[in-house]
Amino acid sequence: MIDKSVYEELKAIVGEDNISIEPAVLETYAFQWCNEVDSALRGEQPTRFGHRPLAVVLPNTTEEVQGIVRLCNRHGLKFKAFSTGMGPWASVSSEDVIQIDLRRMNRIIEIDRRNMYAVIEPYVTNAQLQAELLKYGLMHNAQGAGPQTSPLASHTSFFGPGFTSAYTGYSGRNLLGVEWVMPSGEVLRLGSFDHCGKWFSGDGPGLSLRGLIRGCAGACGGLGVFTKCAIRLFAWPAPKDWHWQMRGTIPDYEWNTPPFWKMYILNFPDWEHYEAAFYEINDRGISIMATASSPEGLAAMFTNTRMEAIEVIFAGLLMRAQRYFVVLVAAHTEREFQFRTRLVRAIMERNGGEDLIEQGVITPRSMHYAESVRNMLGAHAFRFSNCFQSTHGGMDTIALTVRIAQENRPIKEKYIQRRLIGDDRGEGLWTTAYEDGHMAHLETPTIYDPTSAESCIGYSQYQSECNELDLKKALCIPFFIMGDRAHEYYSPRTMNYQRWLRAIKTAFDPNGVSDGSHYISPEKSKKEDG
Amino acid sequence: MMDSCVRCSNCKFLPALQIKSQRFSHICPSIERYNFHAYSGGGRMIMASALLKGRIQFTPEMLDVLYRCTNCGGCEVACKWVYDLEPNEVIHQLRVHAVESGVGPLPRHRKYIELVERTHNPYGEPPDERPAWLPSDVRVNDASETLYFVGCTAAYRREEIAQATARVLNAAGEEFRLLGSEEFCCGSPVYRVGDRKRAIEIMQHNVELFKEQGIRRVVTSCAGCYNMLKVEYPRNVETDFEVVHISQLMEDLLKTGRLRPVRELPLRVTYHDPCHLGRMAEPYERWEGQRVEVLTLVYLYDPPRPERRGAKGVYDAPRNVLAQIPGVQLIEMERIREYAYCCGAGAGVKSAYPDFALWTAGNRLEEAEATGADVLVSCCPFCSTNFKDSIRERESRMKFYDLTELVWESIRGDDIQE
Repeated sequence: MIDKSVYEELKAIVGEDNISIEPAVLETYAFQWCNEVDSALRGEQPTRFGHRPLAVVLPNTTEEVQGIVRLCNRHGLKFKAFSTGMGPWASVSSEDVIQIDLRRMNRIIEIDRRNMYAVIEPYVTNAQLQAELLKYGLMHNAQGAGPQTSPLASHTSFFGPGFTSAYTGYSGRNLLGVEWVMPSGEVLRLGSFDHCGKWFSGDGPGLSLRGLIRGCAGACGGLGVFTKCAIRLFAWPAPKDWHWQMRGTIPDYEWNTPPFWKMYILNFPDWEHYEAAFYEINDRGISIMATASSPEGLAAMFTNTRMEAIEVIFAGLLMRAQRYFVVLVAAHTEREFQFRTRLVRAIMERNGGEDLIEQGVITPRSMHYAESVRNMLGAHAFRFSNCFQSTHGGMDTIALTVRIAQENRPIKEKYIQRRLIGDDRGEGLWTTAYEDGHMAHLETPTIYDPTSAESCIGYSQYQSECNELDLKKALCIPFFIMGDRAHEYYSPRTMNYQRWLRAIKTAFDPNGVSDGSHYISPEKSKKEDG
Repeated sequence: MMDSCVRCSNCKFLPALQIKSQRFSHICPSIERYNFHAYSGGGRMIMASALLKGRIQFTPEMLDVLYRCTNCGGCEVACKWVYDLEPNEVIHQLRVHAVESGVGPLPRHRKYIELVERTHNPYGEPPDERPAWLPSDVRVNDASETLYFVGCTAAYRREEIAQATARVLNAAGEEFRLLGSEEFCCGSPVYRVGDRKRAIEIMQHNVELFKEQGIRRVVTSCAGCYNMLKVEYPRNVETDFEVVHISQLMEDLLKTGRLRPVRELPLRVTYHDPCHLGRMAEPYERWEGQRVEVLTLVYLYDPPRPERRGAKGVYDAPRNVLAQIPGVQLIEMERIREYAYCCGAGAGVKSAYPDFALWTAGNRLEEAEATGADVLVSCCPFCSTNFKDSIRERESRMKFYDLTELVWESIRGDDIQE
């Protein structure tokens, strides 16, 4: 129960309409996708309901966020902020935490066309930002979580591969500056903004604070609150007079695909040729999208209903699709288009591949082109059972992603045979590359039933086994190595990184007010140690 | 189903492919206005789940959250882009549960439900005055099997719509009868706040009355009445009559030449899809079958279960009618058809939360104004009331007309009334 004086102080900061301690409202913040996995991993009964926050507040400005953070420091309370808030890392870890819902901070502050960056607040979504950027012939990297999620969250605090990463890169690399309410309540603006009010660089001279605040995976809201960020933009490959238009009705829409756009599904007989072709396509920088999945994933991506996806699978897709990846050529001019499409064909032929679209195996429709660039294809995986989650992950090389896929299969098959997770024959994966093929991301999406305790526990065991594999065979930095328990397990075998991570947390958050349940806790004070 | 929500927030926005600007990217007025997650379709599903699990109990504030929603169905069509969930249906069932638990609906709703019981309309107007809208020059054929079901709002508050409808029918030679003071509320305002028991009693009364009077076809100029008669009546009671919205009938009459709009109306108009004529008007198709596991943990329905995604609402008829009126230029808003933004009046909001109703209508008017149109057109007396209130409050330059009014103005040949 919140202390009355704390409630009154919070109310004074955000206004009466923007604070709630109503149990029914708080419950909606306790509930999160994958809480059932987290609870199963802790050996508890799987449930989507986690901890209720002490209160939920909806600040509208950086100053209000500062006020809340300072109040938490004064009263020995914790806080946890989120933007669009999907996943257990967004929720609070105990009932003495104030949940800061940043929904009202939803402004696109600036679109700098000449310097190609945008400054945004936390609750601007990918789809909203893209819709506004297209008016200027620009686009950004939208993370795979979907068009309804926050690019600020991805750029400052979480992973960041997306469907257009072959072109737009990884969110963390595109961060050009932040406005950061530190756990002390002090505001720090990183990068060039602090010097000249422009956001062209994420770092000043000297030490990279950008590296400290996020690194590879971000602090998942455990290191203060990011109230603004500047992100890099890219040219939208379409003529200036082209405008986004949709026709038709649900579930089949028609999109006015820009001229000089063409999709391929390049299929190869084995991993070796797949890997070579995938590297070359990325290395030559000719595709706005280069993404691989399983045949089941292919069915999900380029159909519009579960029924249609299943029909495609049973119509023989599994026989025809072996090692494939989807390529989307999007050129500004006909000449560029001719060059790129010829090069795609040459790479395909050199590696013994075929185009599954040309072969009539599956035909992406115009709306799937639109869903590709609006980063909606990942959500199609939810169509099978309303739920999936991924294991492995992280920033690797293309060769390593192939190895992970191969090593993962026998582990996954064990759980499939026990009917605990969905049957994709162990093939389920999602891969994208960035930075011209220098780096790549692989994760292995897995269907489970969130309403079955047995399935949730089975999935969590599978995830643990995948993490162990990543560590034992040095495959990758797995997803979801979050929180003290996971760090204690991994750190001793990986350069004791935990010490450094904890030192960062302690330096910025000595009182431990910024809920670090999915990041790390600070060092205990001497007083706490007795 | 409720625990399958992944809290993705898709229920708050238009499906992403439909988003053309940040300003008009929202589909749910409730979360847009009140911001706490509980005010979204997904949030209300979580509340329902928490209630069922005994984690929470009804409180006045929870009821507030539950009823600050127009039950417009926007969350559901957005959710169904990917998921097999029905948040709007859950919201309705939670309201039914609130009523059956003795805590719902809200006092203002109870008051109008009592009026419906006593006077057969939620405004508490005398039943004898229900036919007062009827001008002396309108011809009615009491022997007709077609009933013009006027509805409470058109009869008592938006008489101009009832009059235009009747005159258009006369002009086309389409015979109809009226129930006059015998007409009852369709039950919509009662049903939408969760008082299912009383709503079904009203439905049964109306169905029996139609049968007694030999009614084979019901024409309505109200989206709310249309939704009840076309969609909710067959779900809850036995019906044996055809239901037609006036926009559909006018489309047909124009096509066959029985209506001839001659007068040019030099207007730039934009059209608002009423939720109850649009996505909510898609009928439920009865389905019996079983879930079959076709792949591990992946189920299909055998036979295939119809998916109610809002695509089969009445969208084309009003637009086709507008296209037939000389001089009218239709400029579409960003959010149309199954992704139309609600006017803000429905499901008990206008009576219990008039400020929220006006706020929502203001948002929609802003979108209408952004098209550059001069006139906002729709097909629902209740939308009409809320928009007219909002136009007045905002001192908007826009004018509002019901579709029937424009058609009548175009066929009668006089000057359009300002």
